[in-house]
Amino acid sequence: MNQAEVTKLISQLKISPPTRLRKFRTPRGPEGRLDTLRKTVTALVKHERLELNRARALEARMYTERLISDAIRYGDCHKTTMEMADYWLIEKQLVHKLFKVLVPRFENYNIACTRIFYVPRNMTDPRYSKAVLELRGNPYPSLVRDTSSNKNLIHNILLEEAKKAYRTKKYAEIAAKIDAVESTVGLENPTTTESDGNK
Amino acid sequence: MSLSSLIYRLTGTLRTVERAFLLVLNGKYPPDNFRLCLDQLQPQENWNNSQINSHKGILEQILGDGFLFAVPKHRRTIEKRLKRKYGDPEYHMKILLPNKKLQVCNVCGDDHEPKTLCPTCYKKVIEETRAMQDAIQNELKLEPVEQEVVVMYEGEKDSKPEEFWKGKRIVEMEKPRPQWFSDNLLQKTTQKGAETSDVKPSNLG
Ligand SMILES: [Zn+2]
Repeated sequence: MNQAEVTKLISQLKISPPTRLRKFRTPRGPEGRLDTLRKTVTALVKHERLELNRARALEARMYTERLISDAIRYGDCHKTTMEMADYWLIEKQLVHKLFKVLVPRFENYNIACTRIFYVPRNMTDPRYSKAVLELRGNPYPSLVRDTSSNKNLIHNILLEEAKKAYRTKKYAEIAAKIDAVESTVGLENPTTTESDGNK
Repeated sequence: MSLSSLIYRLTGTLRTVERAFLLVLNGKYPPDNFRLCLDQLQPQENWNNSQINSHKGILEQILGDGFLFAVPKHRRTIEKRLKRKYGDPEYHMKILLPNKKLQVCNVCGDDHEPKTLCPTCYKKVIEETRAMQDAIQNELKLEPVEQEVVVMYEGEKDSKPEEFWKGKRIVEMEKPRPQWFSDNLLQKTTQKGAETSDVKPSNLG
């Protein structure tokens, strides 16, 4: 077959899309479905974090990913991309945000630019399972607590102690070296092995 | 009453009885006075039927000896009865069961289902998020968004260098930053040495 593979013609998303689309019950058919999703995508670009029903969040995520990846790939001078942005973003001030804020933010991302967390069910009415859909790099407090930087965790305490032990060992070595040389040039400042800038 | 009148009446009665017998023997109906006693002379079968029907009520005549409602003919097995009562452990149990799949949050210790957020922590975060979203939308309104938005809490203006605020849209919140919302997410693990010798209490995480 001489044709190019169809799947290679569009930008590959960093999320795994489902095999078939979810139906949303609306009297206007497929157009109505897209209309509801347009509202969600617009709100997501506007607010950067939304609480939605789970199916709606998972579905709106795909369209947002596609929109942002197209914007990164083709830029704002591409006619089709601009039309898509015009279609998906109902509030037109967000078209500026897409190309001027979100594209620079996500240009160098190796991971998906949206994130989904499942919200605990309300036990008094557990019929609807909700989810939080957010854009990465938003200014809001993180939904999952970053515990890697907590200095009171046991592995961090152990690493700190190991670092101290290594340092004292190095200091002792340097001091022994200085004593051995017995140079009268002057005292050298012991250099630390601590590496600044390591996260 | 005189004796003569009594004899007269007796003879009259005997005469009518005689006439009635004569009529019956000739195959004719007797006069009204004797109808009741003569009815008993009807054939035996007819007499029986009429006797039964007259004794029973109209419902009994229709229903006869009895009427069967739709009732279970067979007893349900014990398995089916128990399943109706308590449900099926493989499909749906009707009785209340403990949820054994709960996890404990590392931060606040609340219980939550696996693969979901902790409800207490989530509530705290989403309330703060909504407050920030409102503040941001009040600030931006309908202008085209061309810069990254940074939220600045009360008394944070001087805590960051000038370059941090440069090229960003600053949205001010009219309250101090919540304790749990750390602002130094990209803080380096190695920090500058302290300038003073005062001992500060640790930040406790
Ligand atoms: Zn928690």
